[in-house]
Amino acid sequence: MTYEKQMKNNINNKMMSIVKHPYFGFFLIAALMLFVQLLRIAGVDVPIQTLRAFGKTMIYIIVGLGFSILLGYGGLASLGTAGFVGLGAYILGYFTNQLGLSIFMIILISIVFAIILGTIIGFISLRIEGMYLAIITLAIAQIINEVFKNWISFSNGVDGMIVNNRFVLFNQYVVLDQNLVFSVIAVILFLVMIVTYNIMKSPTGRALLAMRNSSSAAQAMGISIFKFRLLAFIVSTVYAIFAGVLYLSYIPSTFPGDWTLSLSLLILAAVIVGGSRSIYGIVMGTFLIFGLDLALLQNRDNFGGFFVENPEITIMFNGILIILVIMFYRGGLIRLMNTLIAKVKGIYSKLNKKWREYRYGTDIK
Amino acid sequence: MGEFILDFGIASAVLFVAYNVFKVFFLKYFKNKGKVKGRAINIVVALLIIYTFVIIYQTAKDNYGDRALAYMLLQLINQIPNIATLALATTAIVLIYKTSTTTNFAQSMMATFGAYFAAKTIQYTGARYEWGQTTTVVVALLAGALVAFLLGIFIDSVIIRYSKDKSPVGKQMITMGLVIILTGLMPILFGTNSPTNPLNIPRLFPANDQIPLTFLNTWGIIEMELSMTRHAVYIMLFAIILLALLFSLLRFTKWGLGVRATASNERVASMMGVNTKLITALSWGIAGFLGGVAAIIKAPSSIGPALMVSTQVNGFVAAVLGSFTSFAGPLIASILIPPLQGLLVTLVGAWNFAVVYAIILAFVLIKPEGLFGKKVDKKV
Amino acid sequence: MAQILNKALTNIYDFLLKHHESKLAFKKELLIIKTDEFNAKKMKKIEKVELKYKHQLSKLETHAGVESEYLKEKISEKVQEVEDKVYWKKRIINQKIKRAKDEKKKEKLQADLSSLEQSKTNKIAEIKDKFLNVNPSDQDINSYEEQKAVLEKEKESKVKEIAKTYEDKIKELNTKTEEAVKNHEEKIKKYSDVLSNIEESLREQADTVILEKDIALSLRNLSMHFGGLKAVDDLSFDVKKGEIFGLIGPNGAGKTTVFNCITRFYKPTSGEMYFNNANKKTIHLNDVKVHNIIKQGIVRTFQNVELVWELNILDNLLVAAHSAYRSNFFGHSVHSRLTKREEVIFTKRAMKILEDLDLKSYTYAFPIGLPYGVLKKVELARTLMSNPKLIILDEPAAGLNDAETKDLAKFIRKIKDEYEVTIFLVEHDMGLVMSICDTVCAISFGKKLEMGTPKQVQNSKVVQEAYLGGD
Repeated sequence: MTYEKQMKNNINNKMMSIVKHPYFGFFLIAALMLFVQLLRIAGVDVPIQTLRAFGKTMIYIIVGLGFSILLGYGGLASLGTAGFVGLGAYILGYFTNQLGLSIFMIILISIVFAIILGTIIGFISLRIEGMYLAIITLAIAQIINEVFKNWISFSNGVDGMIVNNRFVLFNQYVVLDQNLVFSVIAVILFLVMIVTYNIMKSPTGRALLAMRNSSSAAQAMGISIFKFRLLAFIVSTVYAIFAGVLYLSYIPSTFPGDWTLSLSLLILAAVIVGGSRSIYGIVMGTFLIFGLDLALLQNRDNFGGFFVENPEITIMFNGILIILVIMFYRGGLIRLMNTLIAKVKGIYSKLNKKWREYRYGTDIK
Repeated sequence: MGEFILDFGIASAVLFVAYNVFKVFFLKYFKNKGKVKGRAINIVVALLIIYTFVIIYQTAKDNYGDRALAYMLLQLINQIPNIATLALATTAIVLIYKTSTTTNFAQSMMATFGAYFAAKTIQYTGARYEWGQTTTVVVALLAGALVAFLLGIFIDSVIIRYSKDKSPVGKQMITMGLVIILTGLMPILFGTNSPTNPLNIPRLFPANDQIPLTFLNTWGIIEMELSMTRHAVYIMLFAIILLALLFSLLRFTKWGLGVRATASNERVASMMGVNTKLITALSWGIAGFLGGVAAIIKAPSSIGPALMVSTQVNGFVAAVLGSFTSFAGPLIASILIPPLQGLLVTLVGAWNFAVVYAIILAFVLIKPEGLFGKKVDKKV
Repeated sequence: MAQILNKALTNIYDFLLKHHESKLAFKKELLIIKTDEFNAKKMKKIEKVELKYKHQLSKLETHAGVESEYLKEKISEKVQEVEDKVYWKKRIINQKIKRAKDEKKKEKLQADLSSLEQSKTNKIAEIKDKFLNVNPSDQDINSYEEQKAVLEKEKESKVKEIAKTYEDKIKELNTKTEEAVKNHEEKIKKYSDVLSNIEESLREQADTVILEKDIALSLRNLSMHFGGLKAVDDLSFDVKKGEIFGLIGPNGAGKTTVFNCITRFYKPTSGEMYFNNANKKTIHLNDVKVHNIIKQGIVRTFQNVELVWELNILDNLLVAAHSAYRSNFFGHSVHSRLTKREEVIFTKRAMKILEDLDLKSYTYAFPIGLPYGVLKKVELARTLMSNPKLIILDEPAAGLNDAETKDLAKFIRKIKDEYEVTIFLVEHDMGLVMSICDTVCAISFGKKLEMGTPKQVQNSKVVQEAYLGGD
C-alpha cells in the first residue's frame, strides 16, 4: 500500500462514513427544507403557501416522532395529541402576550408543564388497559378543548390567540422574521430527529419494545412497567407541547377549532401510514398526509382549485390511506420504500451485469 | 310534598349506603380486601352524588327560591331525549366491543350517515306527499336506521373481514380511518345543509304538542306546571322498547347466545359451530341501527358531520364508567350522565361537559373496573 | 423499631454495595476496552508515520537510483494501473471485433489493438524511467544517504513521541483505574463488613431469617389461594446452591403458581420465601417487587416464548441485560460515551453467550420464522446476560422433540458448570428431569408429595399414585 493510495482510501472512507452515518439522512432532510427556503429568498418563484406548508409539516413531524415513541415503541394509544400541541401554542401565546416572558423561559415552562401532564397520563395508563386508555385520552383532549373554548382569560376563547411573531427576547418585544423562524425550526427538526433516533436504538428503546411485547417478560428482565410507561408518555407529551410552541412561533394565530380530534387522527394516520417505528417513515407519512394537502392541493393554482372547492376529498383520501395500510400493508410507507429500493437495486445490478457482458465479454476475471 | 322527593332520594341513598355497610361488616368480607375496597368506593360515590345534588339544589334555591325543585325537575325532563340518545349510542358501542373486541370510533359517523339519509328522505317525502310530520319522521327514521344497519354490516363484512391486521388495535385504527373517510364522504354524498338542500330532522310531533305532567302537581311534588313534548315521551318509550327487545334477544335467543359466545372467545366459538362471521356482521348492523335511531331522535337537528360527536364521547365515557364487560353498567351510566351534565350548568355554566369528564376520569382512576365491572387477575 | 431501622440499613448498604460492585466490574471492563482502543490508535498513527517516511524516502530514492521495496511497490502499483486500463480497453475492442460485421472494421480494430499494446509498453517504460533513475551520479548517492539519515531520525523521534504519548495515556488509565478499583474495593469491604455486622445482630433476633450458606432458595409454608381454590397449599422446600432442582407434578398441581410467587408475579396468600443473593445476604422475597427480582439474581424463562419480535437475537439478549445498564434515558438520548461503552461491553458478553450455546449463526436474525427449538435456546441465553444466581426454567422442554430435549439437557448442564448458577426447573418431561436434576420435588394439588433424588421420587408410592391413580 503506497502512501498516495492510502491517502485516497482515507478520503474515500471518511466520505463513506459521513454518508453512511445514521444522522446524515436527517441532515439532508433539514438541509432540503433550508434549501427550499433559500430558493425563495433568492427570488425563485416558490409559492409562500408551499413554504408555509413545509413549515407546518416539519412541526407535525416533531409531533409524529413523539407519537411514534408512544405508539410504535411503547404500544400505547393516545388520542389527546392535538390537545397537547394546542396547549403548547396557547402557553406560548398567553405567557408572551399577557406576561411578557422571554421565549426561552416559556420553553422551559412548557417543558415542565409537559412533564407534569405526561406523568398524570402515565399514572392513568397504569390503571387502565390499552383500549380504554384511548378513550380516556379522548376525554382529556375534550377537556383541554373546553379549556380553550371557555377559559377566556387564558385563551381568548373562540376569538383565537394572536401573536403575530411578536415575542420577548432579552427583555424586549421583537418581531421575528418568519423565514428566520423557519430556519430555526429546520435546525430543531434535525436535532429532534437525532435525539429520537438515539432513543430508538438505545437500551431505552429496546426496553419499550420489550414492554410492548410482553409486560411480564419485561418485568422479569428488570424493566419497571411503571417507569417506562411514564417515560413514554412524558417524552411524547414533551414533543407535542414543544411542537405547539414552535407552531405559534411560526404561525401567527391559533383557534380552539385547530386542535380537535381530527388533527389527532391525522397525526395517527401519518405515523401509521409512514411506519410507526421508523423516522424516515414518519417523515414520509407526515409529508403525505399534511404536506401534500397543504402545499399542493390547497393551492388554488393547482388542479384548477378543485381540491380547494372540495376539501372533503383530501380528508377522505387520508382516511382511505389509513384503512388501506392497516388492511393490506401494515409495514407502511417505509416498508414500501425499502422493498422498492431493494427491487431497484436488484434490477440495477442485473442490468449492470448485462451491460458489462456486452461491453467486456462474458469471460470476466 | 315538594320536599318529599328530596327525602325520598336521600332515603334511598341512605339505604344504599346502609346495604353496603352491612355487606362490609357482617358478611365477613374482611379477608377479601378487594371487595371491601370496591364497596367502600361505592359508598363514597353515593355520598358524593347525594352531596352534589344537595349543592345543586341549594344553588337552585338561591336562584329560583321556591321553584328550585321545579327548575331541577325541568332540567331533568329536558335531558330525557339526551338520555334516550345516549343509551342507544352506548349500547351500540358496548355491543361492538363485546363481539369484535374493538372500540368503534366510527360509531358516531355510522349514526350520522343514517341521519343524513333520513334527512334526505324527509326532503323528498315531506314536500311531495304531505304525510304530516309524524309519518314523515317515522318513515325517515326507519329508512335512516335501515341504511345505518346496512352500513354497519358492510363495514364488518367487507372492510374488517378482508383486513390483514385483525388485531383489536388494528380494527380500532380502521374505525379511526372510517371516521376520517365518512367525515369527508357524507357532505359529498348528501351535500351540506342549505336552503336549497335542507337537511333537517324535525321532531315526531310539533314542538307545541306537549303532554302536561299533571301527576307532578296532583301528587303535590311541585306547584308549577311542567310538560314534556310528545316527541320526548314517544322516543323515550321507543328507546326503552328497543333496548328491552335487544336485551331479551341477547338473553333468550340462539343469536343472543351466539353473541355471548363470540364475545367470550371468537375463535373457539367458531370452532363450536357458531357462525361468528354472521354474528359479528349482525352486531355491527344492529349497532348501526341503534346509532341511526339515536341520531334521528335527537331532533330537532340540522344535519352535519359533527352531529353525534359529543354523544359518542359521552357514550365512550359512559361505557368506561359502566365497564365494557356488561350492558347494564354502561346503560346506568348513560342514564346518569346527561342529567348530571344538565344540572351542573347551574353550578359551572359552560364547563359542565369538562367537569363531568373530569369527575369520571377521577373515578376511573380510583376504580378502573368502573361502576359495576369485575376485577380480573391475569394468569402469567 | 430497631428491626425496621436494621432492615432499612441493610437495604441501603446492599444498594451501595451493588452500586460499587457494578462500578468496579464496569471499570475493569472499561480498562480492557480503553487499553485496546489506545493500542489500536497507537498502531494506526505509527503506521501512518512510517508510511509517510517511506513515501518521502522514495522521492530521494528515485533520485539516487536506489530500488527499495517501497519503490518497487509504488512502481508496480502504477504499472498495474496502466495494465488494468489496457486490459479493459482490450476487452472492449475484442468484443467490438466479435460484433463487427464487415472485414474492414475488423481490420481497423485489430490495428487499434496492436497500437494499444505498443502504447502500453511505452507507458510502462516511462514509469520506470520516472521513478527509477538508472544512472545516478555519485553526488546523488551521497546526498541521498545524508538526507535518508535525517529523515530516519525525524521518523524515529516522531514514532517515539507517539508511542510515549499513548503509553503515558495507558499508564495514566491504569493508575486511575487502580485507584478507583482500590477505592471501590475499600468501600465494598466496608459495606460488606457493615452488612455482616448487621446480619450478626439480626441473627440474634429470633424473627429474622438467615439462610445457611449452602442454600440458595427456601420456601416456607407457601400458600397461594385464588378465592376458594388452593393452588399452592403450605408448601416448603429448600433448594441447594449450585444444584439442578426439578419441580414436577401433574397438570394443575400448582408448579407455575409456585414460581410465579417466587418471581413475584403473584402475591402469596401466606408463607415466606427466602433467597441467598450474590452478596450472600438473605433476601425476603415477599418484600421484593417483580421488576427488582432480577437485581437480586433470579431470572426466569416463560412457557410461551416471550421474545421481542421487532428486535434481532442480539438485541433481545441486550434487553435482558437491562438491569445491569447504568446509563439512563438522558444519556441514551444524546448517545453519551457511557451509553456507547456499555453497548460495547454488553454486546461482547452477549456474543460470548451466543457462542457458548451454539447460537452464533443466529446473532443478527429476527425471531420470526426461526425454529421453535432455537427460540427456546435464545430464551435460555437471555437468562445468562445478567449474571444470575438462580435460573428458573418454566417447562423448558415443552414443544421440543427428543433430539432437541437432549440438546437442551446438555446446555443446561453446561450452564450449571460454567456459570455457577443454581437451576430450578419445572417440567413435565420425565426423561429430562431424571437425567439432569440433582433433587426432585413432586407436588400435587399444591401440596408436597415427595422430595429427594430423582430415583427416590420415581420410586415413591405416593408420587406414583398421584400420577397414575391408585391401584
